[in-house]
Amino acid sequence: MKLMMKFFLIAAGLAAMSLVGCSDSAPNGPVASLGSLTIKKYVAVGNSLTAGYQSAGLYQSSQMYSYPMLISQQLTKAGATLGSFEQPYYSDPGTPDATGKASRYEIISLVGPVIGPKGLTAGQPTNLALARPYDNLGIPGIPLAGFMDETGTYQSPPLGRDAILRWTSVSSFPKSVYKQAIALQPDIMTFWLGANDVLGYATSGGVSPAAPTPTATFTALYTQALSSLKTSLPNVKIVVGNIPDVRAIPFFNTVGPAVAAKIGALGLQLYYQKAGESGVASGVTSLTEANPPLLTLTGMTYAAYLGQPTGLWYRANGIPYAAVKALGIDTTKPFGLHPQNPWPNALVLDATEQTSCANATAAFNATIASVASANGAAVVDFFSFFNDIARNGYAIAGETYTTAYISGALFSLDGVHPSSRGYGIVANQYIKAMNSAFGMTIPYVDVSQLPGIPAPLGKISSQDGLPILPADAFKDFQRMFGTTDLR
Amino acid sequence: MGQGGAFAARASDLSAMYFNPAGLAYQDGIQFYVGATVILPSTSFYGPVQLNTNQQTKMVSQTFTPINVYASCQITDDLVAGIGVNNPYGLGTEWPADWSGRFISTKVDLQTFFFTPTLAYKLTDKFSIGVGMNYATGKVTLKSVLSDPFDPHANVTIEANGTGMGWNAGAMYKASQDLSIGVSYRSQVKIDANGTATFDPMRSVYPAGDVSSSLTLPATGFLGVAYSPVRNLTFEGDYQYVGWSSYKELAVTFKKDNSVEVSPKNYVDTYIIRFGAEYAMGDWQLRAGYLYDHTPAPTMYVEPLLPDASRNEVSVGLGYSLTKHISVDLAYMFIKFDQRQAVGTAINFDGTYNSTANLFALDFGYSF
Repeated sequence: MKLMMKFFLIAAGLAAMSLVGCSDSAPNGPVASLGSLTIKKYVAVGNSLTAGYQSAGLYQSSQMYSYPMLISQQLTKAGATLGSFEQPYYSDPGTPDATGKASRYEIISLVGPVIGPKGLTAGQPTNLALARPYDNLGIPGIPLAGFMDETGTYQSPPLGRDAILRWTSVSSFPKSVYKQAIALQPDIMTFWLGANDVLGYATSGGVSPAAPTPTATFTALYTQALSSLKTSLPNVKIVVGNIPDVRAIPFFNTVGPAVAAKIGALGLQLYYQKAGESGVASGVTSLTEANPPLLTLTGMTYAAYLGQPTGLWYRANGIPYAAVKALGIDTTKPFGLHPQNPWPNALVLDATEQTSCANATAAFNATIASVASANGAAVVDFFSFFNDIARNGYAIAGETYTTAYISGALFSLDGVHPSSRGYGIVANQYIKAMNSAFGMTIPYVDVSQLPGIPAPLGKISSQDGLPILPADAFKDFQRMFGTTDLR
Repeated sequence: MGQGGAFAARASDLSAMYFNPAGLAYQDGIQFYVGATVILPSTSFYGPVQLNTNQQTKMVSQTFTPINVYASCQITDDLVAGIGVNNPYGLGTEWPADWSGRFISTKVDLQTFFFTPTLAYKLTDKFSIGVGMNYATGKVTLKSVLSDPFDPHANVTIEANGTGMGWNAGAMYKASQDLSIGVSYRSQVKIDANGTATFDPMRSVYPAGDVSSSLTLPATGFLGVAYSPVRNLTFEGDYQYVGWSSYKELAVTFKKDNSVEVSPKNYVDTYIIRFGAEYAMGDWQLRAGYLYDHTPAPTMYVEPLLPDASRNEVSVGLGYSLTKHISVDLAYMFIKFDQRQAVGTAINFDGTYNSTANLFALDFGYSF
C-alpha cells in the first residue's frame, strides 16, 4: 500500500513538473533593432503634414503627435540615440489667422455640431531659442519649390520663415530648408513634399492657383532636391512619401453625399459652375452619377442654404453686389438649384478639374518613384495607402479607421490633415518602409494610445447630416495654400 | 477534480448531478456535498504583431471561486432525488486599462449559476438512469474603451443578466464489480440577457441605456469507462464532446438606436479526453488525473476577451473519511495552456498568448 501511494505521488509530481517546466516564456517575435545602422540624428522635411498641422492650425498639443515626433520615439525604442527631437512648437491654441486669433477649428458645440475657430487669442512660438535648426522642418503650405529656395517666396511667411526657419531671430542659420537639414547631419531623413503642388489647386475648387505645378518643373525640382541631399549627405538613409489622391480625403467626400441626399429626395438637380466659369452655370448634376463633381468641405456652410435666395457666398468672400450682378448672377434665385445662382466654382471640383488633379498626381508620383529609386531612397506609397483606406477602411486593434469626416477618426476637423491617430498611422507607414528598405526592426506606433479629436461632452445633432460651419471658417485654411481670390 | 474530471462511468458522489445523473441512483439516505474551488489563472500576451512588437502584457491577476452545493435524498430503494447548484461557466479576463488592446476589451466577467433538480432511478442493481433540469442564471460584464473619434475617450461598460433552461440525462451500467460504463448528455442552455450600457464620460451620441444579448452555453456529452484491475484501484477514461459551435457570435443590441454590435466568434465543436485513477486505502483515497481539452476557438478568432487554447491539465487529490458521516476531498490541478498564436485575426490583433492556471478545491460530504 505504501508502495502504491509513493507511485501515485511520484507519477503525479512528474506530470505536474513536465507541464510547469514550460510555463510563460516569451515566444519568438520581432526584437526592436536598427539592424546594422547607427542612428544619432533624424530629420524630417515636408509641409503641413510633416509639421503636425491639424484642424486648420499648428499647435503644440498636435505637434506632439506629428509623425516625425512619433517616428523619433519609435527609433529611440529601437536603439537610436537622437538626444531630444526638436520641433518648432507653437503654444496652444496655435498659429494665428489674419486677425491674430487662433485659426484652429474646434468642436465648439456638439449641438449642430458647430465646428470652427473659437476666436481665441493665438499662441506663441515657444522653442525659438533652440541653438540649432529644428529636427522637424515641416512648413505648412510649402510647395516643393520651397525646399531649396532662399528668397522667402515659398515659406508661408511669417510662419515658415520666422517661426520655423527663423530667418529673423537667428541670422547665423542657413536660409533654406535644404541647408538647415544638411547642417544637422542626419543619419536618416523623411522627405514628404509635393502634396501642395496639387492640393492648393484642388482645395480651392481648381480656382486659385488655376493649375497644379507643371510636371516638368516638378520633376526638375524633385531631382535637384534628392540629388543635392545625396551629394551633401552620401550616407543618409532617405524615405520619401508620395502624394495622396486628394479625391480620397474627407474634404471632398463629405458635402457631396449630403447634398445628393437632399436634392435627390426632392427630385432636383444641382446647378454648379464648371471649371473656368464665374457667372451663369452650365454644370448640372444629380451627384449620383459615376465620378460626380466633388463638393468641397468649404461648401458645408452653404449646403444649408440650398434652394434659398441667398448671396451669402459672395458676401462672405467680399464680392460686391454690382460685381455679382455683372457676372449674370441673380441671388434672388434658389441657391444651387438655378443656373443664375449656382453652386460656386470654388466649392466644387468638377470632372475637368478632377482629371487635372489626377493627371498631376500620377505624373508627380511617377517622378517621385523614379527619382527616389535613382537616389537609393525608399518610397511610401501614400497614394495607394489612402485610396485603399477610402475603399476598405484601415483596421487595427479592434478599431476601423475610415476617411469619413470626423466619424472616421483618421482626419482632423479640416478634412485634409490627419488627426493625431491618423499621424500615428502615417508614422507607421514610414517605419514600415524603413524596416523593409534598411533592415531595421522598429516597432510601430501604438495608435490606440494616441488622443482623438477633443470634443466637449453633450448633445450631438446635425443639420442635413452636416456639421454647422461659420461661413469664414475655411478662409485661413485656404490662405495656407496661397489661395487669395476665389472668384 | 482530483481525477481530471473522469467520473461519468462511476459518478459515485453527488457531483454525479454534473457528470452523470444516473450515478445519483446509488446514493443512500440523505447526503450533502458542499465545496468550492479557487482558480488562479495567469495569462500573458506577446504582441501585437500589427505593431511589430513582441512586448509582453500581463493579464490583471484575478481569483475565481466557483462553488458547488449538492443535496440528495433517497426516496425509495431505487429512486433518488437531488438538487445541485454550481457555477459551471464562471470566468473572466481583465487587461490593464491602458493596454494596446483597450479598444477590444479591458474586462470580461461571466458568472453562471446552474440549479439542477435531478431524479435518478435504479432499474437493476447494475443499470441506472437519471434525468435533470438545468435552470441557469447568467450575468455578464463587458468593459472596453470606446473607439470613437473623440477625446477624452469614453469607457463603455455593458452589464446584462438573464436566465435559461436546459436538461440533462444519463445512464450507467455496472457490467461487473470491476467494470462500469457511463454516458450522459447535457443540453445547451440559451440565456437571454437584458441589461444596461453605460458610457463614462457620456455623450448623447452614445447608445447608453438598455441592451439585450443572448448567450448559448454549449451542449455536452460524456462517455466514460471505469475499470478496476486490482481491488481498491480504479482507472477511468472519458471522452467528452462539447458543442461549442453554439457560440457563433456575441451580439449586443442597443435599444436606444436599435444598433447591434456583433463580434464573430465562430467556435467549433470540440472534445475533452479525461483520465483518472483512484486508490482507496482504508479511510483514505488517493487520486490523480489528466485531461486534454481541445480548444474550440479558431485561430482567427483568438482574442483577448477569452484567449482560449488547447490545454493539458494534471491533478492530484486526496479524500478522507473523517467520521462515518463526514468526508473531505482536497484536490489540486495545474492547467497548462498550449502557447496560442493568434494569426490573421478578425480584429487585427495578432500575437501569442501564454496561459496557466492553478486550481485548489475543497469539498465536504455529509451523509445521514
